[in-house]
Amino acid sequence: MRPLARPLSFRESLLGYLTYLNRALKANFAYKASTFLGLFTSGLAYGTSVLIWSHVYGQKGVSIAMSRRAMFAYLALAFCLNYALSINIDQRVGQRIRLGLIATDLLKPLDFQLSQAMQALSDCLFNSFVGLTILAWVFYFLGGQILPKSPEALGLFIISLFLAFLVQYSIVFLFVQGAFYTYSGYGIFASRLALHQTFSGFSAPLTLYPPVLLSVGRWLPFQHVIYTPISIYLGNVEGAAALRLLGEQALWGLGLYGLGYFTMRKALGQLEIQGG
Amino acid sequence: MRDSLRIYWATFTASLQAKLEYKLDFVLGLLTSSMLQLAALGFLWVIFHQTSNLEGWSQVQVLFLFGLTAMSLGISELFFNHIWMVPYYIVMGDLDRLLVYPVPSLPFLLISRPELHSFGNLLTGLVLAAVSLLALHMPWWDWALVPLWVLSGGVIYMSALVVFCSLSFKFVGPYSYTLMIPHTLLQASRYPLGIYPGWVHYGLLVLLPYGAFNYLPAGWVFGKMVSPGCVLAAPLVAVFSAALAQAAWDWGLKQYQSTGS
Repeated sequence: MRPLARPLSFRESLLGYLTYLNRALKANFAYKASTFLGLFTSGLAYGTSVLIWSHVYGQKGVSIAMSRRAMFAYLALAFCLNYALSINIDQRVGQRIRLGLIATDLLKPLDFQLSQAMQALSDCLFNSFVGLTILAWVFYFLGGQILPKSPEALGLFIISLFLAFLVQYSIVFLFVQGAFYTYSGYGIFASRLALHQTFSGFSAPLTLYPPVLLSVGRWLPFQHVIYTPISIYLGNVEGAAALRLLGEQALWGLGLYGLGYFTMRKALGQLEIQGG
Repeated sequence: MRDSLRIYWATFTASLQAKLEYKLDFVLGLLTSSMLQLAALGFLWVIFHQTSNLEGWSQVQVLFLFGLTAMSLGISELFFNHIWMVPYYIVMGDLDRLLVYPVPSLPFLLISRPELHSFGNLLTGLVLAAVSLLALHMPWWDWALVPLWVLSGGVIYMSALVVFCSLSFKFVGPYSYTLMIPHTLLQASRYPLGIYPGWVHYGLLVLLPYGAFNYLPAGWVFGKMVSPGCVLAAPLVAVFSAALAQAAWDWGLKQYQSTGS
């Protein structure tokens, strides 16, 4: 059987992927009310953590291995990073799989996983802009506490940020494969969210975790989405230790991306789409 | 009235049977809703790794708050979850179909889409509340009152969702983000309200009265509050909330314009 279209050149492919990125970015700008409400809701959840920690720090006789200001700086950075790395492909891809629209995606002469990554990247670029605006506002209250420890820390953080995106996207893509097997998307979304909330370090630095929870978290990739980049940014991890963490992030990211690729090939093998 | 109730029950059971056909979804729903509760418990564990109490509430006592809240959420997801689809129906004009049924639209809408993951929240909540009451050797009447508080909690939470959802008739959009506000605040109400600043504390007792079905009853159970009003607040607030939700829904329907196609 002859292919429907000739294979695309590298330049044509690149333009195709950039179109995905551009379109998704425009969509983000189009739904301003949704963006605002989503940000407000995330802020409420974050505000709850801040108020709880604030109460704990205010109690007499409590000794925590982290100052109050350092904790709030960590939480502010965690909120901004978590918001920046919010990826909406759970709903987008899950719905396309359930409705069978994925068939038209697969007809396109572009790699599905990579094209979704470009859309996810556009989500992150848009959210990063919002996250940076919030961070600038937080700077007013916390001052230098939320700045990177050194130019080297900032440089390593930027690399870590890209790797955090790779880890986050690969996790989301892997979980969304569940839509090939289930009718409701809730289970897929909720299970990933539960693991992310517990082990990413969103609500507290992992160093404050009870030993059992910490040892489980160390074996999972979620810490590399929030805790690892912030530890590098704040200079809590430096030199060879920081490079080792970047290596771990890269291994997790590439490993999960590859796993997502093979899982999708297997899932497509049993996909049935109704005609008509 | 009797005919309406019969229709509601038939709709509910038919929808539930249809959902139960997806067995993998049922198992996943049970597991994942329990996982979300455990994730919240993970944070609680981290907090209690640093402190021995939260405003005088021990970890086991806070578990009771978590349990009541999880069960109330489960009740709402089992009996009233369809409200989450309304913003989408408004955009698509699908609400027209609902309005031609010969029964009151709000109860019919609420009852017609039970969610399977509700069982996970009900089960996890039951375990948490039971662990707390057993560990603290609470008397039998505390156990007996739990269903009253949980049912009231389900109605209060549902009412909050309906009130926020009614805004979707005015501010049309396909997303349920407005409903995430009462949902997120429900998570905040799992902690003793006394740890929050006054405006949050009273906001969760009066404006979004979640405290009526978790904080006040738990305070009474553990002897932190003595007024019998703490026991009866939940059902009274539930009745008032339901009336308010119906009024908000009626107001919303007056704004509804369908899609013209």
